Amino acid sequence: MALHRPAALLAVALAGACIALAAVAFAASLTFDGRSLGMDNDTVPRCTTAGLGVVPNLSGTTVVSVAVSGLPSGCGGATLQVTVNNLVTSSGGSAAVPAGGGSVTVTLAAAVAIAAVEQVDLVLTGP
Amino acid sequence: MTGRLALLALGALGLAVLVMEGGFAASLNIASQAYTPYRTCVLNGTPSTTTAAIDASVRQASATTNFGTVTTNDVASGSAANRRLYIRFDLTQCNPAIPTSAVVRLATLRMYVTVLPAVCRTTDIFRVTATWTEAAITWNNQPFGTAINNPASGTATDTYAAGTPAGCENLTVNSYVTGAVVTADVAAFVAGTATNFGWMLRDDVEGSATLRTQTYAAKNLGTASQAPQLVVTYVTVP
Repeated sequence: MALHRPAALLAVALAGACIALAAVAFAASLTFDGRSLGMDNDTVPRCTTAGLGVVPNLSGTTVVSVAVSGLPSGCGGATLQVTVNNLVTSSGGSAAVPAGGGSVTVTLAAAVAIAAVEQVDLVLTGP
Repeated sequence: MTGRLALLALGALGLAVLVMEGGFAASLNIASQAYTPYRTCVLNGTPSTTTAAIDASVRQASATTNFGTVTTNDVASGSAANRRLYIRFDLTQCNPAIPTSAVVRLATLRMYVTVLPAVCRTTDIFRVTATWTEAAITWNNQPFGTAINNPASGTATDTYAAGTPAGCENLTVNSYVTGAVVTADVAAFVAGTATNFGWMLRDDVEGSATLRTQTYAAKNLGTASQAPQLVVTYVTVP
């Protein structure tokens, strides 16, 4: 009944390869929706759950920057990424949140024409 | 014996891989950094033909006349000369749509004021609970009826002060007023627990002996930089 040594090694090697492949497959299916990470429910730490004030700043008929206010000190040092999308074009930019929080104005890489409906996405990464 | 050793080795290897995976999973958590995503839907009353917003003022002194196509809207308190402002934003036009499960963090009504009274006046914002249209609303058929100082001030969603005196919350003409927060109402609209008929703005004390008027840029002005706005910031994962 005993396996010969080469056969045992082969079995181990095959098993290891299978597990490694499975790990890769799991990694490929990892979701990134902010709450679940793969098969694990994980709480993503956030620097704030406060309501942030968002004001698109205009130059003529285009949005050139976005002012974000109400940032608490807990977000100090974070990077604020902003993307403005008018359903035709989009542009973004980023800026650092001051140590004490407060307000940040993020200048867009390219102006976005004002429209009846605009989507502004904010992502704070860090601190 | 050799078989047992092989099984033992296999088990140890599997455990090692699981531990390693756990390590990867932990490190995938944005390297343990905070990650705070917000979405914001901005509805603008521009261009003037948009259906994303409708607005109109109603005037007590012209009780049967519709002012849905004028370029300015007034909030006024005066003897038989009160004026109210009705405005509604169509949240269903947000793209992407705001999920009903979204948590609304902040919703702000932004109105561009061009005329302020010489005294600081409190302006009330009320959630409208009945339908109205831009083309048909008048003082006489408005959802809140013709009685002045109705509804009661205490039922307002929010209030802000506006007037030119120093120290007044909003004292600068040709700018957007601040302090008009309608988060609870928008949250109810999004969740489907209230129907979105918009808001009515009126002077907190109608019937002033001296006429007190605030004038706001209307959608029909067609000026993008002065268009009424509703800014809704929300998260889809609390």
